[in-house]
Amino acid sequence: MNSLFENVYQENYKKVVRLCLGYVNGDEALAEDLAQEVFLKVWQHLPSFRNESKISTWIYRITVNTCLLELRKQKFNKSTEEVERVPIESDEEITDTGFQMKQMYHCIHRLSKENQSIILLVLEGVPQREIAEITGISHEAIRVRVHRIKTSLTKCVQNENV
Amino acid sequence: MKTFEDIQSRWANMPEPKIPKNGVHLIMEKIGTLKRKQRIASTVLTLTAIILLFFFFYITAYRSTPTMLGLFMMIGALLARIALEVISTKSLGRLDVKHDALKFKRGLVAHFSRRRWIHFLITPVAFITYVVGFVILLPGFKESLSAGFYTYVVVSSIVILAFLAGFISFHIYKEHLILKSFKVRES
Repeated sequence: MNSLFENVYQENYKKVVRLCLGYVNGDEALAEDLAQEVFLKVWQHLPSFRNESKISTWIYRITVNTCLLELRKQKFNKSTEEVERVPIESDEEITDTGFQMKQMYHCIHRLSKENQSIILLVLEGVPQREIAEITGISHEAIRVRVHRIKTSLTKCVQNENV
Repeated sequence: MKTFEDIQSRWANMPEPKIPKNGVHLIMEKIGTLKRKQRIASTVLTLTAIILLFFFFYITAYRSTPTMLGLFMMIGALLARIALEVISTKSLGRLDVKHDALKFKRGLVAHFSRRRWIHFLITPVAFITYVVGFVILLPGFKESLSAGFYTYVVVSSIVILAFLAGFISFHIYKEHLILKSFKVRES
């Protein structure tokens, strides 16, 4: 069990943290705390994993649900509620990677929690059929939603650039 | 960034998070701590209940009916509310994180909707029962305590109860916001 968990942890830690970063507005410390909660639950439930889905899909499900559950706590809410509007500075800063990441997190944060989950999974390259399995929304509805969220996210990022 | 492809490429090129070297060890440590905390909490709650019940039976053996009633109301209200909180916390812990997000969210909404009954019906009833129980005990206090100490007991109780009422209201408001955030119509 320990070596299996160790493998699962090593193979999925980065994916989990990247997804969590999207929920906490890019705050690395909070994302790592969330990831720890996720793997705590993975450890608890690993014996009941039956290979009915891919392990990564199973872990994404736990990640999305754990983030939803934990985000109601104050320490995580602080970073997500007090989102500062990203100041628009010079052209030099607009091209800066860190600044662009901030813009992107800011725009992702403006989406509903459900849409945040969908677009974060899209950005992680998870196929739409798997996103449907993780979120419980039909594949057809996911296809329509992804298109809508992409448009709205792109518009938001463009407006932030103005 | 002008297009979604720009966003996707920026996301793909974000710095890779580092895997903590002792990550698994830290998780095992946290599991141990959580188990210890659960054991301590159960022990403290059981001991509190036993002490309160012992105190109740000890006092009522020597006191009048109003004192017995007052104590019964105060201790009963407190124990009932603690028991409900423990049951509610356990029910939240039992929500299955392996479900799809939609099913999990429905479970969360149902949990926090059920808690509204606790907040808007059971908590006020428990609070009022507690206060009434205390008021029933006051004549006994007046008889047995000095005037100064009696005044201190009354004034400090009013302050504590007012603070408690504020504290409870604040937490109810916070949970109301959580429920609202879950129910926000998805755009």
